[in-house]
Amino acid sequence: MTPHPKPPLLSVRNLSIRFRTGDGMVHAVNDVSFDITRGQKLAVVGESGSGKSQIALSIMGLLARNAQAEGEILFDGSNLLKLPTSELNNIRAREIGIIFQDPMSSLNPYMTIERQLGEIVELHEGASRSTARKRALEVMDAVRIPDARNRLKSYAHEFSGGMRQRVVIAMALMCQPKLILADEPTTALDVTVQAQIMQLLDDIQRDLGTSIVLITHDLGLVAGFCEDTLVLYGGRIMEQAPTLEIFEKPGHPYTRGLLRAVPNIGDPAAKLLAIPGSPPNQRRAIASCPFHPRCVDAVTDCAEKLPQLDGGNSKRACLRPVEELT
Amino acid sequence: MLNYTLRRLFTVIPILLVLIIFSFYLMRLAPGGPFTSERPLPAAVMANVLERYGLDEPLHVQLWTYIKNIVFHFDFGPSFSQKDRTVNDVIAQGFPVTLTYGFWSAVFVLVCGVPLGVIAALRHNSFWDYTMTGLAIFSQIFPNFVLAPLMVLLFTLSWGLLPGGGWNGGQWQYVIMPAVALGTSYMAGVARLTRGSMLEVLGSPFIRTARAKGLPERTIIIRHALKPALLPTLTYMGPVFVYMITGSVFIDVFFSTGGIGQDFIDGAYSRDYSILLGLAILYSVLTFTLTLLLDLLYAWIDPKVRSNM
Ligand SMILES: Nc1ncnc2c1ncn2[C@@H]1O[C@H](COP(=O)(O)OP(=O)(O)OP(=O)(O)O)[C@@H](O)[C@H]1O
Ligand code: SF4
Ligand SMILES: [Mg+2]
Repeated sequence: MTPHPKPPLLSVRNLSIRFRTGDGMVHAVNDVSFDITRGQKLAVVGESGSGKSQIALSIMGLLARNAQAEGEILFDGSNLLKLPTSELNNIRAREIGIIFQDPMSSLNPYMTIERQLGEIVELHEGASRSTARKRALEVMDAVRIPDARNRLKSYAHEFSGGMRQRVVIAMALMCQPKLILADEPTTALDVTVQAQIMQLLDDIQRDLGTSIVLITHDLGLVAGFCEDTLVLYGGRIMEQAPTLEIFEKPGHPYTRGLLRAVPNIGDPAAKLLAIPGSPPNQRRAIASCPFHPRCVDAVTDCAEKLPQLDGGNSKRACLRPVEELT
Repeated sequence: MLNYTLRRLFTVIPILLVLIIFSFYLMRLAPGGPFTSERPLPAAVMANVLERYGLDEPLHVQLWTYIKNIVFHFDFGPSFSQKDRTVNDVIAQGFPVTLTYGFWSAVFVLVCGVPLGVIAALRHNSFWDYTMTGLAIFSQIFPNFVLAPLMVLLFTLSWGLLPGGGWNGGQWQYVIMPAVALGTSYMAGVARLTRGSMLEVLGSPFIRTARAKGLPERTIIIRHALKPALLPTLTYMGPVFVYMITGSVFIDVFFSTGGIGQDFIDGAYSRDYSILLGLAILYSVLTFTLTLLLDLLYAWIDPKVRSNM
C-alpha cells in the first residue's frame, strides 16, 4: 500500500480511556493512536471488552459520565475531547455519524421513523418539515427500505431486525457526514442480511466517498471490506496493517491466534473467542505485554516490558521479531 | 381505537351489574337496618315505613326495582336517612365539591411533582437533587391528617390568609387548602417516581442516539425523554386521581367542605343503603371511566400498546 499523501480526516493521538468504578479504575483504552483519511475504510477488530465501542463513543463525545479520556482526537483542527458540547453538536451527525451496536434499543420507540430521521436535517440544515420528509424518503430508498413512503409513519417495533438496522444506517446518512463509525452494524442479523448491509456500506463509501470505521469482532467480515485493519487487545493496539497483510502474514501472535481461531474465513458465524485463556484484567495499568499470559510465543521479557507499536505501513506491538514467531 | 373503546364500554355493563347485586346483598346482610333504633318503633309504624320505602318486599324484588329505576329513570332511589332527599340530590350536591378540589389537587400533584422530578433527575446527585429527594420522602410520610391541621394553624390561625374550612361555592380561597393537603404526599410520590424513570430513560441507548444527532439537551429531554419518563407516573396517577375526585373522608370532615366523603360516613353510620349503593356505583363508574381514559392516553403515548388494541 502506498503511504497516504492526504492529511488525515481524523487523527486519534495517544487516546486513553479510564472508568472510575466502585472498585477502582478500569483501563478500557490505553495509548491508542491511528489516522483515518478521506474515503478510507478501516476495521477495528478485537474480542468483546477490548475497547472498540469506547473508542467510537469518545470520538462522538458520548462516553459515560464516569469516564475520563486523555490524549487527542483531532478533527478539522480541533480536539474533539476538549470541545464543549455545543460545538460538538455541530459535528455530531453532520460531520461524523455513528451506527450503534444494537438497532433494537438505539431507536426511540415512541417516535415515528420519519421524525427520527427528519429531525436531523431540521437541526443541522434548518430544513422544513416537508423538506425533511423528502430527505428521509430519499435516504430510506438509498438504504433500500422497501415501500419507504408507507413506512415513514411506522415505529421501530414495526420493523424487522434487518430493516431496523437500515433505519439506523439511514440516520447516520441523513447529513452525508464525512465519517461514519459503524459499531458492529451486523451482529444481530442473520447471514444474508449481514451481507446485504455490508454491501450497502460499501456502496455508500463508493458513492459518497465517506470514510468508514468498521468495528467488529468478526474477522470474516473485514476480509472483503476494509483496506486497513487495526487489532485491539485489552484496549491496546496489537497490530495495524493493510488487511491483506493481516491475513497473509500476520505479524503479531494475537492476530495469528485470531486467524487460527477462524476456521473458515468468510464464515461470519466464526467468532474470535477461541484463543485459550481469558481477556486481561483491566483494573490496573500494566507494564507488560497485555497478551503475554495467553501468548504461545511469550518469553520472560514479555512479562516485564510493554511492547511499543512500531513500524511503517504495518505496525506491530511485540517484543519478538516476526521471524521468531511460531 | 374506537372499536377498543366500545368493547371496553360493553364489558363494563355486566361488571357493574354484578357489583350492584353483590353490594346490594352484602349491605343487607349486615345486622341492623336504617330504621332500627334503641327505642323500637311501634310495629304498625314500622310496617308503614318499611312499606313506604319498599323494604317489605322480598330482596330480589327490591333489587329488581332498584335496577329498573336506575336504568330507565336514572333514579337511585330515596335516601333512607335524610328525609325528602333522593340519592341523586345527595350526589348532585356533594360530588361537585369533591370533584372540584380533587381536580385541583391532581393538577397540583402533576404541575409540581413532574417538574420537581425532572429537575432532580437532571441535577442528578447535586444539592438540588438531594434537597428534592429529602423533601419528597419527608412529605410522603407526612399524612394529610397531620398536614391539614398544620396548614390551618399557619394559614388561618397565625396569618389569617385562608379560611379554615367551609366551601362557599368553591371560591379559590376555600379550595386551596383541601387540594394541597390532599395532594402533598402524592405530589412527593410523583416527584420521586418521575425522577427515577427520567434517570432511567436518560441512560437508555435511544437517548444516546439522540445525543449523537447533535440535538441540544433541552430538545432531547422534551422531545425524546419526557414521554417515556411519564409512563410510570401515569400508571400511578390513575387510581390516585379516582381517589382524589371521589373525596377523602378526612378532608371533607376536617374542612367541612360538604363533599361526598361526608355523605359516605353519614350513610355508613345510619345504614343508609341507598346512599351507600349509589356512592359505590359512582365510584366504580368513575374508576372504570378513568382507567379507560388512562389506557387510551397510554396508547396515545406508546405505539406498541396502540398496535395491540
Ligand atoms: N461505564 C463504564 N464503567 C466501567 N467500565 C466500563 C464502562 N463502559 C465500558 N466499560 C468497560 O470498558 C471496556 C471496553 O468496553 P467496550 O464497550 O469498548 O468493549 P467492546 O470492545 O466494544 O466489546 P463488545 O464487542 O462486547 O461490544 C469493557 O471492559 C467494559 O467493561
Ligand atoms: S510481546 Fe511477548 S507476549 Fe506479547 S505478543 Fe509478543 S511475544 Fe507474545
Ligand atoms: Mg462494543
